[in-house]
Order: sequence, then structure tokens, then C-alpha cells
Amino acid sequence: MSHAEVILIIKLNNRDFPWEEGLTIEKIMQIKKFTFPKIIVKVNGNHIEKEDYAETFVNDGDNVEIIHLLAGG
Amino acid sequence: MKYLAKDDSKCIQCGACESICSKTYFKEDNPEKSCIQINKEDTPEINVCNQCGECIDICPVMAIKRDKLGVVRIDKKICVGCFMCVGFCPQLSMRQHDDYIEPFKCIACGLCAKECPTEAIYIAEKSDEEAKEMPLDKVFNK
Amino acid sequence: MNIKNMKENHKLLAEYKYELGEIDKGYTNRTLYVNISDNTINSKPVTEMMKEKFVGGKGFGLWYLWNATTPTTRWDDSENEIIIAGGPACGITQYAGTGKSLVCSISPLTDIPIDSNVGGYFGPLLKFSGWDALEIQGKSDKDIIVYIDGNNGIVTIEEAPLEAYDAHILGEQLTEMFADNEEDKRNVAVVTAGTGAEHSRFGILNFTFYDQRRKTTRLKQAGRGGIGTVFRNKKLKALIVKFSNVKGDLNNTFEQSIINKTGIKYHKEIHDLDHLQNNMRKIGTANIIEVMDAYDLLPVMNFQYGSHPDTEKIKSTVFIEKYLTQGVQDGCWYGCSMACAKAADNFLLKTGPYKGHRVTVDGPEYENAAGLGANCAIFDPEAILELNFYCDTYGIDTISFGTATAFAMECYERGIINKEITEGLELNFGNFYSSVELLHQMSKGEGFGTVVGQGVNRMKKLFVEKYGANEEFLFDIGMEQKGLEYSEYGSKESLAQQGGYGLTNKGPQHDEAWLIFMDMVNNQIPTFEDKAEALHYYPMFRTWFGLYGFCKLPWNDIVPADNKYTDEPAKVPEHVQNYLDVVYGVTGRKLSVDDMIKESERVYNFQRIFNIRMGKGLRKDDRIPYRSMGPVTKEEYESRQERYDTQLREKIGYAPEGKTTEEKMAALREYRENQYEKLIDAVYKRRGWNSNGVPTLKHLKYLNLELPELMEVIKDLQ
Repeated sequence: MSHAEVILIIKLNNRDFPWEEGLTIEKIMQIKKFTFPKIIVKVNGNHIEKEDYAETFVNDGDNVEIIHLLAGG
Repeated sequence: MKYLAKDDSKCIQCGACESICSKTYFKEDNPEKSCIQINKEDTPEINVCNQCGECIDICPVMAIKRDKLGVVRIDKKICVGCFMCVGFCPQLSMRQHDDYIEPFKCIACGLCAKECPTEAIYIAEKSDEEAKEMPLDKVFNK
Repeated sequence: MNIKNMKENHKLLAEYKYELGEIDKGYTNRTLYVNISDNTINSKPVTEMMKEKFVGGKGFGLWYLWNATTPTTRWDDSENEIIIAGGPACGITQYAGTGKSLVCSISPLTDIPIDSNVGGYFGPLLKFSGWDALEIQGKSDKDIIVYIDGNNGIVTIEEAPLEAYDAHILGEQLTEMFADNEEDKRNVAVVTAGTGAEHSRFGILNFTFYDQRRKTTRLKQAGRGGIGTVFRNKKLKALIVKFSNVKGDLNNTFEQSIINKTGIKYHKEIHDLDHLQNNMRKIGTANIIEVMDAYDLLPVMNFQYGSHPDTEKIKSTVFIEKYLTQGVQDGCWYGCSMACAKAADNFLLKTGPYKGHRVTVDGPEYENAAGLGANCAIFDPEAILELNFYCDTYGIDTISFGTATAFAMECYERGIINKEITEGLELNFGNFYSSVELLHQMSKGEGFGTVVGQGVNRMKKLFVEKYGANEEFLFDIGMEQKGLEYSEYGSKESLAQQGGYGLTNKGPQHDEAWLIFMDMVNNQIPTFEDKAEALHYYPMFRTWFGLYGFCKLPWNDIVPADNKYTDEPAKVPEHVQNYLDVVYGVTGRKLSVDDMIKESERVYNFQRIFNIRMGKGLRKDDRIPYRSMGPVTKEEYESRQERYDTQLREKIGYAPEGKTTEEKMAALREYRENQYEKLIDAVYKRRGWNSNGVPTLKHLKYLNLELPELMEVIKDLQ
């Protein structure tokens, strides 16, 4: 192999997550099966509203927080 | 069913309705104790119960019922003062005042309509189909 | 039912008349003591010391229990008590979830104190009748009831030979017997157990409330730890309280206006947001069935797995659309706008003594759907409802029954027990008819049902001693700790939740801490210190509900619209402030969050020391089964192979390539068990305990809890 394959990553809840072309918050939620209704989403510290999940593109190196609000049960 | 109808565009925010209502039911001239309430600033808005009856299903002790004329009334002897009906009223027209442990609401008595100088409020009838409460007999078949 | 005839056959054993009194800022300042051995009834003062150190509710219950028992007291000894206490806020009607009672006793499952939290009208009506707590001691030799007439100030103990035992019938009979008319029925509250509580160790208490719309008696459960078993062992058939003039201001609060304001704000929040969040008003706690499945947390086949394709068949919308009556006010106390006490009406039973009857089933709660359903691989909503119904009416804990049955099923599937041992029951996963037959056997006191009814801890011992099972394997897969069955969440992939279950006082019940999302999904508490802080704050915060008579669910099963912009959304800061405001309104005590935590810490540490006194409160007792920490079997490992291999590689530095599953499992196990020990160290330190789990004398001093009788228990363990 002449070139090492470059894997682009973002941070999702402070863990590595692979980036791909066209990655949106909605896509991440689908991949991770994040179906819980009480979720807070932030990209680089900025809140993203639910209606904007599909339109919010995530770029290489972004810090994404998808916080599930349940400390109960 | 009978209800107090309104036309916000005619209201001149004089407060006569609030005054007669609170004096009639609480012996005090105090807009906070009036079933009908008018905003004091901006474009006039009349806030008063439209007798939809959503509160009937909310009450845990069935203290709220519709009377023969279709008016939604609270039986204060039965009421346990939970104020859920206040929080759940879609019109925000169920009232509460800390001097009392029961809520209160418009019973379409029409006294305010008589006082209103511009006919912005008036007693009217609407279809019973607009009633929002559940038919319990049908639900539980009892 | 011939109510008149039943009543005529009552024999009066004791009568006690009392002054009705008045409630002062949430307290009646009296406790009703009833001894059913010698039929004495007394009023005991609630002291300032009790209020200062123990607040109320569970605090009072544990204090009375401590004074009534000795280190050798067991559940079926006459001196063991059942204490029911609300708390100073219990009975207000303006805020959601304010009718809770806390019940305490020495548990037949754990031999240490158990506390169980329950709705229904008994707690509030008991207080309005003049009593902060009801303390029952002794044992009767005939079936009796205790009746508190809060209208006239009379307490009686009566023999009651003819009434039914099962809760859905007995509740109706006694409500009818003691109410003056239909309208008066909501003023009568009954506590019952059921036939199954006599023949199992996980009997429950059912607390009734009369549903005026359904015209039926509903049941809420004090479910954990077998208090119903103690109840029937004492030959108690029922406790009844009657009080007919409930109003919104009977607590004579310090400042009613702040309670009104806070309550209405909360009601509005539920009205505006519940349908966008958890749908508590439509489905109650069962809203999370499919959520838990999606996150691999739903216990499947005795906690082996976390999800299953058939969960689709029991997801919350199935219950909403087909079974649960919608749009009815389902609060278990007045003013509960969360209204999560759902019910399926006109449900047709397929088995057992009530086969063919159409009944109202209370539930299913999430725990029931998960425990009776998924954990036993029974993915059938009607099976879940039927099991739920029979558990309740027989007085059986759905959680312990679900977990114990799942354990027995796994043992059966693995050949550890067989058809001969089960006396013909085919206990395969997914077999509803065998599962419900176990319940019917518990009700009748016969067959293998009575073995399962002993609980996982005792089944393990029996299977090892009598049938030669491998002790270590059964310890690994038997989901119990301290004798109590696990509640229904998979904790394998969340170290913090392993502590949330393992480092509890009463045993592995999630009511102290549920940290799985914070830990596993959100990665918000990565270090041991972070986890320890969460395992300090949440258990203390959640203990507090039980001191005051609050329900925990309104705290975080809905959150304000702007909660996400707060510093710590998981704590729901606005709701915490609501509670502090309501308590100020009731008692006049202005508490900070720190005060709140400290109030809980006193009771929490007291309970820990109580456990130590009973011989079960040290580090060794906080061990947990490996099934709750990681994959016990090859199949479990391979079902999450990618996750586990990655963890071996990245966390442990162990290359999984070329290794057998067994080798990888061993490496993972060593790592995870070690992590749990490190977690224990961090949590004990944060809680002010030494490395053996004993509260330090310094910590007791900080808590102003240096009672000589407590010091006596721990002084040699420092």
C-alpha cells in the first residue's frame, strides 16, 4: 500500500465517530439508533433544534454532543 | 350550549366587565378575581371561558360538570383544589386566586354583557358538538 | 358479593378512640401504633428529633423499625413491623405526585430493611385522619383488618373471616363496605396483599384508590422486597382508612400561595410538553419499552441480551392503540397531572380462577412489560397484561417474579433443572402458559411455583445443594444481590449503572440511580470520580422524595422547554427548585440543594448502618453477579463481539485477533471486575465511608447523626 487510508473523524460525545460525505445530525441519529425523545444536540457548543437535524451538516473535526436526558427510569 | 361570546375588536379595555364580575362573585372590585379578564395594554383581547369543557375530564374528583344549559360549572364542595384545570385550560380562562382553595370560571351569567358599553361581549348559543369532554358511558359501558 | 353478611361476621377485637387533631405545616405530630398480638392501640408522639434527623416518610419508617427490632430479628418474627408513612408534603393536591407513602419492614428476601414507595390514597387519608405514620407490630392468629375511621376518630381491629384475599376483589369489597354511598367511595383507601403473598417471599402490598369514572377500585403497588409476605404472615387481611372531607389546604401549610403557583406552572408544562416528550399521560412508564430495546438495554432472556426483534410486538404504541383506555384522568392522587397510572379496561382473562372475567388491569408499567415480557422472551401484549393482572391480585411483585422466572427459565433451557424438577412445567423462554401457571401455583401454595417464589437467591442454593448445579455459574447468572431480584435494565455496558444497582441499600432496584445514558451513551461521567459523584448525588437526591411523600416521576419524566440551556440538564434544575419551593410552602423550611442532599444523607447512612447491624452492609455484600457486568456465556460475548473486541484492544491493550472467545471473555472479565472494585473505592470515598463500606465517625459527625446506638454498631468497624 502506497498511501495509508485517511479516515476522517468527528467527536461524538467525546468519542471518535467516522465522518462521511453529507453527514448530518439526522444521519448520525439514524446510524446510532438514537430514538429517545428527550435529546439535546449541540455542535461545537451550539444548540441544534430538532427541526434542523436534517439540514445540519457535520464537518470533519466537529465536536458533536447528543445528550440523552434521562437520569431516571 | 350557552356561552359568553366576544368580539375583541369592539373592546375598549374599560374594565367594566371585570368589575361587575368580581363584585358579584367575590364582593370585591378586583380584576384578579374576575372570571373575564382584559389585557391592559396592546390590542384588546378578551379572555373568557368558551365552555369547551376540556376541564371536565381533567378534574380528578369530577367536580366539574356541564349543566342543562351547557354551561361548565365547578362544584366547590367537591373540588379538592388541585388546580389541574387551571394548567390545562386551552383558553387559559380557568382562574385561580390565592385567597381561595378552589378555582373559578365564567358561568355565562351575562351580567358583564349588560355592563359592556360597546357590546364586545354577549351571551350566545353554539352547537353541542363543540363540547370536548369524553362520553364516559360509552367509554366504560357502565 | 354479600357485603352485609361479611360485615356481620366481623368480630371486634379492639377499639381505640382519639381526638382528630389538626395538621400543622404538614405534620400531625403523632403516629398510630397498633399491636396485633395483644390488640393494643396507642398514639405515639412524633418528636422534634425525628423531624430534624429523619424528616418523615421512609425516615420515620426506618427509625421505628430500628427501635422495634434487634440484629437477630427476621421477617416472620412478631416484633417485625410494617410502617406506612407519607411525609410532610404528602397529601397536598397542587403539585403532581404528592400522595406517596413509604412502607418499611424487615424483608423476607434480604433479611435487612426494605423500603417501598407506593401511590394510592392511603397515605394522604391516613394523615388527614390525624396520623403521620402507621406502625403495625405483632402477629395475629386469625385473619384481621385494621380500620381507621378518620371522620370520627376511631381505630378498630376486627376479625374478618369471609372477605376474599385477592386484591382486585378484596379492594372492591372493603371499599363498598366502608363507603356510605358511591360518592363516598373515593374517601376509602384499602391496603391488601393477596393469596400469592402467602406462598412466596416477594409478596406486595396493593394500595387502592377508587376510580370514579371507571367505577372500580384501582391498585398501586408497594412492590419490592416482600412486604406483602410479612403482611400475610401477620394474618393481616387489610388496612382501611376513611376520611371524607379532602380539600386542598388540609396540610395547613406555611405558605399556600407558593405551592399553588408552582403547581399550576407544572400542570401547564405537562399540558404543553408531555405529548412532545415521554407521553406519560398516554402510556405511563411503558413509553420506554422500545427505547430500551433500541439502546440494547432491554433485558432479554434473563438479562443475556439487550434487544430482540419481537419487541416490536410489545412496544408502547401497541398498548396505547389496542389496550389502554385513553383520555381518562389517571392520577393515583389528586392533582397528579402526569397521570401515569394507566389501565386496560374490559380485559378478558384466559387462564386461572378468573378465566373468562373481564377486568381492569393496572398497567403495564415499563418494569412489567420488560420483566414479565422481554426478560422471559414473552413478546405478547395480552400475555403481559394477564401476568400483570395476576401478579397484582395475588399480591406478587412483578419485578421479582419476572427476574426469578427468567432465571428459572434459563436454568431449564440449560438443563440445570428439568421437567421432573418443575413437576411437568415446560419452562422454556417464551412459554406464557408455564409462566402464568407459576403464578397460579404461588396463589395456591403448590408446585414449582412455590420454589420460584422463594426468589433467585434461594433457588440458587437449592439448585446447587439438591440438583448439583455449578455454584459459580449460578452466581454469575442469578440476577439478585442481597437477596433482592434486579429490576429490569441491562447494566452490562455501563459501569456507573453497575454501581447504580450494586451500591444500593435495599438491593438492586433502580430507584436510587439510573445513570446508563449519562454514562454509556452521553459519556458525561468518564472518570471514577465523575461516576462516584453521580452515585452520590442521584441516590441522595432520589432518597429525598421518599422522605417528603413525593413521587419521583414528575421530576424528570417531563422537563421544561428551556431545560436544555441550563448548566446541568440531567438534574432538571427548575424542577429541583420546584420541590424546594413546595417544601418551603408546606413546612416553612427554606432548604438549599445542599441541605436537601444532607437530609437524605442522614437517612441513607442510617439505613446503611441498619444493614450493618443486620449483618449485610459491608463491601462483600455489594458484590454483584457477573451477568450484570459483562458476558457470562459465549453466546453473550459473540452477540456483542465487535463492541467487546474493540474494548479489549483499546481499553485493555489485549489483541483479540487469533484468540478464542473463552480467552477473550476471561480477559474482559478480569478487566471489568477490576473496574467495579475501583468504582466501589471511589463511591465509598465520596459517600464518606471507609474501604469496607462503613460510614466513618467523621462523616456521622458532619451529618449530625452521632446517635449512640449508631456509633455502637460501627465503632469497631472503623
